[in-house]
Amino acid sequence: MQQQQSQAVAIPNERQPETGGSGGSMAEAPPKQVALAMDRLAQAARLIADIRLGADRLLEALFVSAQPHQSNKPLHLFMKEDTSIRQHLQDLRSIGRQLEDSGVLNESLRLRSNSWGLHMPLVCPDGAVVAYAWKRQLAGQAGASAVDRTRLALKAFTDQKRRFFPHLDDGLCGQTTGTEPILKKHCGSQLSIVSQQEELSDCTTLSEVLRRLEKEVPNIKISTYQRLDWLKRASLLPSSANENSNESSKEHNFHSSNKIRPGPMCAVAADKVAIIELLSSSVFRVIVSLHPAGSIDPDAVAFFSPDEGGSYVHARGLSVYHVFRHITEHATMALQYFIGIRSEKALYFLLRWICSYQTLFTTVCSKCKRLLSMDRQSASLLPPVHRPYQQFSAIKISTQPISSSNDQSLNITRAYHVGCFSEEV
Amino acid sequence: MPLKWVLQWQPNAGTTVNSQILNEVSQCVETINGVKEGRWKATLTFYKPMIREQAVPTDYPRDFLGISLPEQPNKYYFIIRGQRIVLEADSSIQTIMEKLQSYKSRVALIFEGFQYQLGDFQLRVGKVVPSHSENLRGIVMEVEYLPISSLDKSRQIMEEFLDIWQEAVSKRSLPGHFTHIEPNFAEYGLSDHYSSQHTAVQYATVMAQLIASVQTVQSVRN
Repeated sequence: MQQQQSQAVAIPNERQPETGGSGGSMAEAPPKQVALAMDRLAQAARLIADIRLGADRLLEALFVSAQPHQSNKPLHLFMKEDTSIRQHLQDLRSIGRQLEDSGVLNESLRLRSNSWGLHMPLVCPDGAVVAYAWKRQLAGQAGASAVDRTRLALKAFTDQKRRFFPHLDDGLCGQTTGTEPILKKHCGSQLSIVSQQEELSDCTTLSEVLRRLEKEVPNIKISTYQRLDWLKRASLLPSSANENSNESSKEHNFHSSNKIRPGPMCAVAADKVAIIELLSSSVFRVIVSLHPAGSIDPDAVAFFSPDEGGSYVHARGLSVYHVFRHITEHATMALQYFIGIRSEKALYFLLRWICSYQTLFTTVCSKCKRLLSMDRQSASLLPPVHRPYQQFSAIKISTQPISSSNDQSLNITRAYHVGCFSEEV
Repeated sequence: MPLKWVLQWQPNAGTTVNSQILNEVSQCVETINGVKEGRWKATLTFYKPMIREQAVPTDYPRDFLGISLPEQPNKYYFIIRGQRIVLEADSSIQTIMEKLQSYKSRVALIFEGFQYQLGDFQLRVGKVVPSHSENLRGIVMEVEYLPISSLDKSRQIMEEFLDIWQEAVSKRSLPGHFTHIEPNFAEYGLSDHYSSQHTAVQYATVMAQLIASVQTVQSVRN
């Protein structure tokens, strides 16, 4: 027992230098401070228990020494207990000082702001320990899981970023820049698809895509806007309801377009472009939204009549006319398809596919050979609103400027009514 | 503004219009899924000049028409067909004309009927009656395609619609059919972009047709 006692004495002694040197514990993070405080409280509790035991033995020794026929044994016991208890009391004092320093026995730490919401255990004057151990435990658990969750989230985000925004890694891994010169080497002898690819591989930036498009479809007006600028312009677009007379509306157009329209893309900073507007006079106005701004990743598309105006005219809005509503639905699916197969060329394919709709009101359905057909669902007569997009990317796209009259001769414009399309498929 | 075609009912030789035909036509619209929306009314006025002195009558236009359209309640339209003039004025011009007393209203006709919605198409079927009698003089129909404003771009669509419409009407074996005459808008100084002035010109053309067909009937009778 003595050995145990001496061990019990020794151990706090060894511990003391560690904890004694923790005058700088204030520089540690709150959870560690709380942990240390709890440890010390536990030690203090053990010391107190030891002291109580020692006191019992002292009493026992006194009792035995009060008995007759005793030797020096009780005196020895008494002496030993005395020393051990004194030692315990000393330990207790030092731990008490440490606890005081760390703010356990007073409220000094509570006044400090950076405690992460963790409160130091408080020993009240009447001896009750308000330890908030449960909070520490929860905080510890939360901290651990938060670290894990953050790690997982970061990994997931990096994967997605690599998948959907490969061009952002250009500077880092140089993959896309590496393949470009390789493709350019294999020019002459390849199939038309590859030659188209190598041309398209030039279109890695927004301005390149738009410039190429302007060459290919000159009769469609392409404009770019920042997101907020477009919303302002949309609200100011003259709608059919606002037109009072031909001349006054023309003037209005003139003035408003001078004031608001920034002009072709050179006027808008390329890295801020979030909206592309395709205007085919008298046929459609299409709004394509890019996310993030300045990239070549489309995320929404919507068709409108060129006469429509108002704040609902944006990439996620819906036209008031059935024909454009149907096309918008179809275009959204086409967008997802293009993103799915060739995400880096998605914008180019999407815009070219949209431009094929300039013959919306003149191309007959490839199946029934008529222009108008009654759509059962919306009970309205519609022109062919479905244009196939599945093979669009594989068809050789001529780089010659395409006017609307030449489109027919290229033999690739196929269009279907809603009813005819579903029968085809 | 959305473009429209104004059609008129051409009765077969020797027949006249009656309200029965009008009912059948209205039912026909509903069979092709037209949804009745409301009423519409337009008025057309023939003006004749008030010649005070011995002025040369030929200086004054013979067919001076004034039209008010339901979609432009604040406007009034003048057409002189002979000289291919169309003018859009404020509706207060009518009071001015009354005060000036230079032209007097000779005959006024009313076009009125029901309006139907058919998807992106808006149809109006109406009877033509003189302003102070219930004598049915004719039937007109307006076909409006809302998404487009260009006459050229919409031509194919409108022609196909007309085919579909003629087919539907012919099933009812009515003594007549609808016709559409496209006036030469360029002669009136109008562009490809549709406007109410185009409508006014179409109505003037329809009137001329109506008068001509009425005169034909009268001459046949005589």
